[in-house]
Amino acid sequence: MVKYLKITFLFWLSTTMLACDPALSPEVEAVLATLPSELDYNVHVKPILSDKCFACHGPDMKKQKAGLRLDLAEVAYAGLKESKGKVAIDPGSLSGSEVFHRITSTDPEVVMPTPESHLTLTDYEKAVLIKWIKDGAKYKPHWAFVKPEMPKIPDVEKEDWVKNPIDNFILRQLEEKKLAPAAQADKETLLRRVTFDLTGLPPTIAEIDAFLNDKSPTAYEKVVDQLLKSPHYGERMATDWLDLARFADSHGYTVDRLRDMSPYRDWVIKAFNQNQPYDQFVHWQLAGDLMPKPTKEMLIATAFNRNHQQNMEGGIIEEEFQTEYVIDRTNTLGDAFLGLSVGCAKCHDHKYDPISQKNYYQLYSFFNNVREAGQISWDDAMPTPTLMLPTTVQEKVIQFINNNLTQELNKQTTIQKNGEADFDKWLQGQQYKLLVATAYPQEGLLAKFNFDKSGLKNEVNPQEVAFTTTQDGKEPEVFEVGKTGRGLKINGDAWLQLDKIGVFRKSDPFTVGVWVHVPHEFKEGVIFHRSIAERLYNFRGFHLLVRKDGTLEATMAHTAPSNAFTKVSKIKIPKGNWIHLAMTYDGSSKAAGMAIYLDGKPLEMNTEIDQLTKDIFFGQRVAKEQPPLQFGAWWRGFGLKDGLIDDIMVYNRRLSAFEVGLLAEKNSWETIASKSPVTLTLSEKQTLRNYYFGAEHLASRQQAQIIKALRNTLADSTENIRELMVMQEMPKPKQAYILERGNYDALGGKVFPNTPERIFAFPENLPKNRYGLAQWLTHPDHPLTSRVVVNRLWQNLFGAGLVKTAEDFGNQGEMPSHPELLDYLATTFVKSGWDVKKLMKTMVMTATYQQDSRTSKEKMALDAENRWLSRGPANRLTAEMIRDNALAASGLLLKNIGGKSVKPYQPEGLWAINNTTYKPDSSEVVYRRSLYVVIKRSVPHPTLGTFDGVSRSFCVIRRQKTNTPLQALVTLNDPAFLEVSKVLGEQMSKETDSKTAIIKTYRKLTGKTPTAKEVALLMNFQSRELEKFKQNPQKTKGWLSAGYYQIDKTLNPGLLASNAVVANMILNSDAALTKR
Amino acid sequence: MGHHHEDFRLNTPDLRELNKKLDRRHFLTKTSLGLGSLALGSLLGAGKLLADTGAKPAVALSDEDLQRQILDSLPHFAPKAKRVVYLFMSGGPSQFETYDYKPKLADMFGQDLPASVRGGQRLTAMSANQSIFPIVPSIYKFDKHGQSQTWVSELLPYTAQVIDELCIVKSLCTDHINHDPAITFFQTGHQLPGRPSIGSWLSYGLGSDNQNLPSFIVLVSKTGGDQPLYARLWGNGFLPTQHQGVQFRSGKDPVLYLNNPEGYDGHDRKEMLDYLSKLNKMQNEAIGDPEVEARIAQYEMAFRMQTSVPEVMDTSDEPDSIFDMYGPDSRDTGSFGANCLLARKLLEKDVKFVQLYHQGWDHHGGLPNGIKGQCKRTDQPTAALIKDLKQRGLLDDTLVIWGGEFGRTVYSQGKLTADNYGRDHHPRCFTMWMAGAGIKKGFSYGETDDFSYNITQNPVHVHDLHATLMQQLGINHEELTFKFQGRRYRLTDVHGKVVRDILA
Repeated sequence: MVKYLKITFLFWLSTTMLACDPALSPEVEAVLATLPSELDYNVHVKPILSDKCFACHGPDMKKQKAGLRLDLAEVAYAGLKESKGKVAIDPGSLSGSEVFHRITSTDPEVVMPTPESHLTLTDYEKAVLIKWIKDGAKYKPHWAFVKPEMPKIPDVEKEDWVKNPIDNFILRQLEEKKLAPAAQADKETLLRRVTFDLTGLPPTIAEIDAFLNDKSPTAYEKVVDQLLKSPHYGERMATDWLDLARFADSHGYTVDRLRDMSPYRDWVIKAFNQNQPYDQFVHWQLAGDLMPKPTKEMLIATAFNRNHQQNMEGGIIEEEFQTEYVIDRTNTLGDAFLGLSVGCAKCHDHKYDPISQKNYYQLYSFFNNVREAGQISWDDAMPTPTLMLPTTVQEKVIQFINNNLTQELNKQTTIQKNGEADFDKWLQGQQYKLLVATAYPQEGLLAKFNFDKSGLKNEVNPQEVAFTTTQDGKEPEVFEVGKTGRGLKINGDAWLQLDKIGVFRKSDPFTVGVWVHVPHEFKEGVIFHRSIAERLYNFRGFHLLVRKDGTLEATMAHTAPSNAFTKVSKIKIPKGNWIHLAMTYDGSSKAAGMAIYLDGKPLEMNTEIDQLTKDIFFGQRVAKEQPPLQFGAWWRGFGLKDGLIDDIMVYNRRLSAFEVGLLAEKNSWETIASKSPVTLTLSEKQTLRNYYFGAEHLASRQQAQIIKALRNTLADSTENIRELMVMQEMPKPKQAYILERGNYDALGGKVFPNTPERIFAFPENLPKNRYGLAQWLTHPDHPLTSRVVVNRLWQNLFGAGLVKTAEDFGNQGEMPSHPELLDYLATTFVKSGWDVKKLMKTMVMTATYQQDSRTSKEKMALDAENRWLSRGPANRLTAEMIRDNALAASGLLLKNIGGKSVKPYQPEGLWAINNTTYKPDSSEVVYRRSLYVVIKRSVPHPTLGTFDGVSRSFCVIRRQKTNTPLQALVTLNDPAFLEVSKVLGEQMSKETDSKTAIIKTYRKLTGKTPTAKEVALLMNFQSRELEKFKQNPQKTKGWLSAGYYQIDKTLNPGLLASNAVVANMILNSDAALTKR
Repeated sequence: MGHHHEDFRLNTPDLRELNKKLDRRHFLTKTSLGLGSLALGSLLGAGKLLADTGAKPAVALSDEDLQRQILDSLPHFAPKAKRVVYLFMSGGPSQFETYDYKPKLADMFGQDLPASVRGGQRLTAMSANQSIFPIVPSIYKFDKHGQSQTWVSELLPYTAQVIDELCIVKSLCTDHINHDPAITFFQTGHQLPGRPSIGSWLSYGLGSDNQNLPSFIVLVSKTGGDQPLYARLWGNGFLPTQHQGVQFRSGKDPVLYLNNPEGYDGHDRKEMLDYLSKLNKMQNEAIGDPEVEARIAQYEMAFRMQTSVPEVMDTSDEPDSIFDMYGPDSRDTGSFGANCLLARKLLEKDVKFVQLYHQGWDHHGGLPNGIKGQCKRTDQPTAALIKDLKQRGLLDDTLVIWGGEFGRTVYSQGKLTADNYGRDHHPRCFTMWMAGAGIKKGFSYGETDDFSYNITQNPVHVHDLHATLMQQLGINHEELTFKFQGRRYRLTDVHGKVVRDILA
């Protein structure tokens, strides 16, 4: 009742005070007076609406309260559904706007935001909303979703300061704010800044001297051009990109085993060094495989979308993680290229930005068409699909073998053509009549199990005894009435293991036949296989199984699903009676070489994939002995529960169709044998011909052995070829669905590839695949891509982006500090042909960039964060730069580009939490640049991790910048830094005097010549340390022993140690750690 | 409506006093470890981009200001706990052989678990394809203990002695059935990597009460074994890096690079740092960057840690009676026993959050032997920690938590024999316990069905546990948020209810 009265009262209030504005609290009044005369919706109003209102009155359809949304003018102005006669916003009228009443109310039942939301509006925020409504509540589209246009270059007063148009934009703002730009930085400082920024390395003393001595006006530009040409430029640019591309050397989840993705890193470095246009750079990574005539490099680039974490944990559900991988790719697209947290729309419509849940799964469906495993193989095989990366030698060898193989296969055709005479002779000699002697073929028979008198013994070789077993040990066998005599009962958990029979490679032709009784209740499970387990090892080996839908699947795999061939029957398996099943295979590694027979008839099958390249054997780490044939069940998989099997036959050759018919009791030799050669029909002759060349004809059989041996050699030579995970599109796209609440198993409506229409609709002429998506991103009308990339590059130079939230250009992101400059950069970048080096050069050539980073207290107060750029950038070196600076200064740094990751020193036992041991490299590769240091996602490298290096588990656009005591411990005590100090100490000890030594070391580590005061301090310290070490030689020990580097034993250890301490001290000083 | 915490927000003399004592309002202490660890720029009125030069007070709050406001409001009410020790039993201990007594199972040995009990619950890929799910009762006996007459397995004789201090919760449940997602979920409130861990949230929200030690310390038993751990379990996610857990390792370098170069002692280091400080100040004369001052302070803190960490790690001064209480392992550095003793020392120093990880509870097979060994290694030190905290008066304001990432199945995974079996992961119900700091003593909460397969009474979700933990530390779990990529995140995501029934 009270509530009702209150609302009525308010209503009365609002209707009676029509013209004049309602009274406001003095605080709000006070703020109102200070607001700018014109409010901008994007700058002032929307950040408040977005942060405080959109959660319940924004784009998320499911969360919209009272049917109101405040992100769209037409809805905000319309009548409120739940309050007849009221409108949320009545432009120009406070009293007519329900929003006004709600935000100014003190009644917990009325006030907005609600107390439950734990959100409140500050007086400033209330004042802005009030003024905005009063001024007419004008909406504007979100700035970042409007295509950037080339802005007019602003006029400035201090024109002589300007070096290029970027400076106009910066200076204009500074002049408006009455802030003067800083003077140009001194040459040493500037050189160190630009050298680090463009190569990630410090300048050498020689480079510093050359620059200092070059008095020409183009001295700086010359340096910049040289740096952009340096191969280390690519390394520096790659380091940032690898954060974004979540590049790492391990799989991430649980056991987090290592994997080698370094060919992708090499490609990124090369792409930057060759200045590949950014649009092409994006196209290759997102869709290199789908572009016309993809080259090897284009395929390597697609590893971008396979860099995500993958799970090897034994018990996970395949679909759950396969879905997770697609989600990762989708979210990365948003973070990396769109600067939008699209991932928020995984479970519900985005709360702040116009990305519906449907939009999300439309984007998702672009990345969903990869034949990949959710649970990757436990044997460390590279998850498929992969690209084979043979070395030149390997490539030659493979080509040589393949050529030979083609020749030998042709030869076989010739041999058989020429063998027609022999066949005729055999025919005329009526030798086929002998075939009736046995009911089934004898040639190549390895095993026969009929479970009758011989029990589990192989009738062909009674030494071989099969047994029933599970992973936990043998189980008693159970016999019941079989096809003939006894059959073996299967419980679905224990399998019949054929001793050591059937250990076939992919080059071995073979045949397996078996009688099976499938119970009516049976749903899915394996009939027979040659493997250790099912998906735990990604089906390595081969198998015949019944799928959930009742069809029969035959697979032979190195690592399923994509290094394998898989065929599926068109019909379902018959149940309730005895059937005969046979698998025949010719050793070709091709789907066409395998046939499945049901009751003696080959089944019609669809081939789902046909790209088996590596062998089906297990490595020694996994299996001391290769698993043999097993029937009825497998470890951790579904078996033939309550089924029966009988009369297993195994051959080491491919039986002809007629012969399989014999096993299935559908054919017999009787009719043929009763005929004379002249009365044989053509088809009977053909049957005999097939038999003859497969089982009798010596030359053909010898040739078959040659072919098999060659194929084995091919397999052996292929085994060690390096593989890289890449993208490969399934021929028929996989149907994608909205996943309710983001759950992999809660399928909602079907979705198809598309992009969020309110950001930028998908042009009709583009293909609806990843290539189309990549072209959509770089379409000239796309509002985000170019802004996002120029902002990120700006951030890498200046420490903060023009949009500080470089990862969020949406409604919740910060407004750009210089919107016109951002658009200028974005449009000129696109116009330049997405020329990254040109952009980098333009930015470092500005007066803005070249400013001194020092500032006065007064300016500091006005521009604390340097958002207005009234001074040059100053930032602590990144993790990689700190280590590389030390290595470079000491001369230890190895400067070769690219290659596999390396393991420098780190304290023992760190990887133990993840049940692994870290073995540091034992060669000079420990001195390679930091971007090559191995990244194991579960245990960060202690040096790099402490200085805010990222785990690379997901896309990161902006690193944290912290300053902690743990960092001090690293540069003071990490053996890698002690070793550098030692090496520098050794160099110092060889100098003529300590002053020269100190000055040189200071310059190597900081790029600057120390002041006289600093030199005096350091000399004083050095002599005190020297004295101390003289008195106590044992104190030198740690300073002289760290790392692999062996010091010159002829030098005075006390002197060397004292110099090392001084070097370490300089290394720990601000001048070394900070890029100013 | 929706104002359940309003009563606590009154600025009572108690709360004022508390705030004064803990100096909560002083922002710098929030960022310990420690002084000035945030980039100083952001402390100096950052994010005032929208402040047009004329308008002084009229500004939008920057994200930094917003965070400061959130931190300044802490604690939301008088905390019961000043510190937490969380004994994480990694791998998922079986509830059947520890605390959840199921006498009716004795008669059902080997019977196939009815599908009606399973009720469509998803299973791991390790046992989902089994043809039958044979029921297996605990091979170990249970007895009633303490005044509370709580059932405890014979494997836990020492914990049974302190059972009247504990609150046993038999009705925990989680969403995840595999180790990685389940552990990550337990430690960060989300199954995927990237969110801050519990300890990081506490370090961020409450800061440190000790200027010489990190506020969030992690100890891992050296025994290791089966399921691996990952540093992200104590990671800071998107919170500032200094809030990540610092692993104290056994051995001579307990914190990474804590030791000075061999032969170079603390005095030498002190002298060097004095000179370094002078050098930094000289360099800064020309620069005037407050960041340099902050770094000088960090070097001082690092130096203090070099003394305080070895001091706190050194248990040699502990009397024999203490070692006897914690059991024989407690003299073996890096063992669970030694870590429990060390945890007590850290808690005495007011370290906010001490997390112990003990691996080896993942008994898919050979459970009877496996769990026996695990209990033997952990039972006595765990009970000793409770007793020790109590005798020092610390139990009253220390929250102790024990438990794993999920429970185990009533059915045997793999082969079942008279004296051997295994159990697969079971997320739907499992047992944890809490003690101290305002938690009911000698109390049991929640019930499961006869198969310990489903909860029949008072489910407690992982998010609820997190909410309750924060509640005891004076934090409303809905209000300690951090804005990242435009969204406000919290430990409990959008869920979590404080389990008030277990609060004293």
